[in-house]
Amino acid sequence: MSNSSANILDIKNIEVRYDNVILALHDVSLKVPKGKVVALLGANGAGKSTTLKAVSTMLASERGKVTNGSIEYDGNSIEKQTPSQMVGLGMVQVLEGRRCFGHLTVEENIISGAYSRKLSKGDINQELEKIYTYFIRLKERRKSQAAFTSGGEQQMIAVARAMMAKPKMLLLDEPTMGLAPQLVAEIFNIVQELNTKEGVSILLAEQNTNVALKNSDYGYIIETGRVMLDGTAQSLLNDDKVKELYLGISKKGRKNFRDVLKEESLKKRSN
Amino acid sequence: MVDELLFFMEVLVGGLLAGTMYSLVALGFVLIFKASATFNFSQGAMVFFSVLAFCGFMQDFNIPFVLAFILAALLMVVVGLCTERLVLRPLMNASEDTVLMATIGLGYVLEGLAQAAWGVEVRRLDLGIGDFPVPWIADNLKLFISALDIFAGLVAALMIIGLSLLFKFTKIGLGLRAVADDAGAASSIGIPLKHIMLLVWSAAGVVALVAGCMWGARAGVQFALVDLALKALPVLIIGGFSSIPGAIIGGLIIGATEKVLEVYIGPFFGGAIEGWAPYVLAIFFLLYRPEGLFGEKIIRRV
Repeated sequence: MSNSSANILDIKNIEVRYDNVILALHDVSLKVPKGKVVALLGANGAGKSTTLKAVSTMLASERGKVTNGSIEYDGNSIEKQTPSQMVGLGMVQVLEGRRCFGHLTVEENIISGAYSRKLSKGDINQELEKIYTYFIRLKERRKSQAAFTSGGEQQMIAVARAMMAKPKMLLLDEPTMGLAPQLVAEIFNIVQELNTKEGVSILLAEQNTNVALKNSDYGYIIETGRVMLDGTAQSLLNDDKVKELYLGISKKGRKNFRDVLKEESLKKRSN
Repeated sequence: MVDELLFFMEVLVGGLLAGTMYSLVALGFVLIFKASATFNFSQGAMVFFSVLAFCGFMQDFNIPFVLAFILAALLMVVVGLCTERLVLRPLMNASEDTVLMATIGLGYVLEGLAQAAWGVEVRRLDLGIGDFPVPWIADNLKLFISALDIFAGLVAALMIIGLSLLFKFTKIGLGLRAVADDAGAASSIGIPLKHIMLLVWSAAGVVALVAGCMWGARAGVQFALVDLALKALPVLIIGGFSSIPGAIIGGLIIGATEKVLEVYIGPFFGGAIEGWAPYVLAIFFLLYRPEGLFGEKIIRRV
């Protein structure tokens, strides 16, 4: 991580406001090394989605703006880019809630992901077949209308659609939301495969801390728009504070991170 | 008895064919509704603007028919371009209601521009096809059906087939359907919204021009075209706002019912019920089938 060019994404101290007023991110810095999977963890409203949208430049369409700090993708600032330009540069976001095109068939959904690329019909079919090797389930349902597929299938459609854009980096926003454990495992298997076989770097926002960390190389935990803790996935999985707050059950009921830190500093002082 | 039946057929066929003219106007609305989820109130003004420009090119500058038509079509593309740049893009984050209001404003701008550029008098548009009964049909089937109605029917059919193929089989058509379903998701995978908007508004402009030619040839190119285009509203309520086949069928239903009602029931109301009968029909649809015959139901997975 010492060599900056080894990072495909480098976020430095960004602050994000919506409508010029509402402060959604106070100070978030994170790095995604090339070819790695990085998990961004936190509860609802912590700022995970906002961080991802800041990176994909989709904030503008929600009246959000990066008001401080900088984001570099592949060594270049993303400040002046539009979402479709970012896709052209190989950065694709899979939005929270799947967002399939309900009236299109599964296959049309996936093909729509290649919109930004200039491909012939033959090339598209070739790419499609390759995508189907990762998403076998979708091949069986290729002719169904996307709105009538299951939640897990819709998540797969969303990821497959993004893969058709041939991304160097994927931003996944809560891909396992509302899915049964078996499907969660299936989705993460696919994510792992895409990472290792296609070499796609991945920034993954999740509430499902345990599964996310087990499938990542590095993790960041954010709370109320600030990075509270970061470290390798293994170290976070073994961290007592993370265990208590995000993985297991605390003896004294739910707490947030600040409470834990406060307790710790009190303990230190009393020692 | 036979005469009665023939007369009914004549009214019905005439109504259906006149209905295709409503369909043509409604088609322009559907295009924009699919992409922007907005009822484009300026569609009527676009019809007026485009066909008046067409007439102006021909009659004021003596440009030949075909060239004038192409110029008018290009002008509508420019109008689409300006609309995207000056109206839609600044309102990108605004609510659908705001965009709706903006289209009303756009309508006034287009009406004003058209009249400022080409004057206010009624112009005659001659497409080379008379609004008279076709002798062959009159002789053989004993039906009096206008050549213009038949021509309008054919043109409408061609436009529908063309647009349906465009949506189903081309890349930009796929992009348009994707944007219609979820504009945010479409932009997240790199479908440039501004290109789609430009395409849709230009296509709606050209459709408006074609519709304007048909109406202009029948009723003269005049300001009343703007209000006539609003007949597309009941057409769309019946057919469904987001469906191209719906626009066609809705147009046919409106055309046929208004003529049949006018002839058979009109006398009891003192005539001229074709002006409001379609709206009554539309109200029934709003009550019992609000998505229209072919509109996309809001799909909800259970």
